Amino acid sequence: MNRTVVIVGSLIAFALVGVLFIGLGKNPAEIRSPLVGRPAPAFALREVGTGRTIDIAQFRGKPVIINFWATWCGPCWEEHPTLVANARQLGDNVQFVGVVFQDAEEKIQGFLNQRGTAYPTLVDQEGKTAIAYGVGGVPETYFLDRNGVIRAKYVGPMDSEILRANLTKATN
Amino acid sequence: MTFLLLLVLPVYGQTLQVPDAQQFVGNPQGTPLAGDQLYRRTGEVSALLRCPVCQGLSVADSPSEMAVNMKRQVRELLARGYTEEQILRYFELSYGQFVLLKPKFEGVNALVWVFPVAALLIGVLIVFTKIRKLSTDNRQPTTDNPVDNPDDEYLRRVRDMVGGGKA
Repeated sequence: MNRTVVIVGSLIAFALVGVLFIGLGKNPAEIRSPLVGRPAPAFALREVGTGRTIDIAQFRGKPVIINFWATWCGPCWEEHPTLVANARQLGDNVQFVGVVFQDAEEKIQGFLNQRGTAYPTLVDQEGKTAIAYGVGGVPETYFLDRNGVIRAKYVGPMDSEILRANLTKATN
Repeated sequence: MTFLLLLVLPVYGQTLQVPDAQQFVGNPQGTPLAGDQLYRRTGEVSALLRCPVCQGLSVADSPSEMAVNMKRQVRELLARGYTEEQILRYFELSYGQFVLLKPKFEGVNALVWVFPVAALLIGVLIVFTKIRKLSTDNRQPTTDNPVDNPDDEYLRRVRDMVGGGKA
């Protein structure tokens, strides 16, 4: 009986340690979204500032980076300069789109006036776009290939290195 | 094709479109609900969904804006005739199985259901085996008991010392 207990106990312990190692080896910010590999949920939302409607489908033909963010989110402030700088560097080759997450439009407008922008920021309708994209917090960023298929999702603030690494998944 | 299946919201004279459940799970397969039934079912279905921004709270229980939006969407979908299965599937396609408070019996998640039952059965088996062994030991003939073994040298010496050895 003692030998059986030792064997079974060892097997359980090894299994738990294995699960722990697998978990520790993953980057929690690189979320495997069920939407990765699927067509991005379609939307056409109003742009902050201009009021014009922007349809995500109009950017088909080039990679698109959709960034969900809010002014009340500290990491979004941290990430904003990276997004703007990369949007300027990449120009027309990649389309950046911001989507407001649970925030007031006037606050967003004030933030953009103060800190600048290089791409459209859109107002979500009752959070439905965020829900369809499986957003659980901000910032969250989705990388779409030129056919509108989601190729990567990143949770948390990105630096240029992370942004370019994920963008590569959408451009290959 | 799925991109054409959108919920259309007219705002400021322009056509706005938000992603709709239809592009995920197709047309409603149930009966549109209203009134008390809609209210009750909204609570029931929302209780099956995890609030993504909360710590272990369901969409029904959480006061967060995210949960309120999700609950509103559940109500809208029930009012349009979507079934509970379709609604849960819609949220699962966006958030993964994480959003389901009751994990599905499939893949690695099956362990959540199987492991407790298996652990309980193994425990019962161990206890049963142990009890059976103990009762078997107690019923064993006592010939092996060293107290009654006449050939035991130690016992013989003790009996000699207390004077009972030859009695």
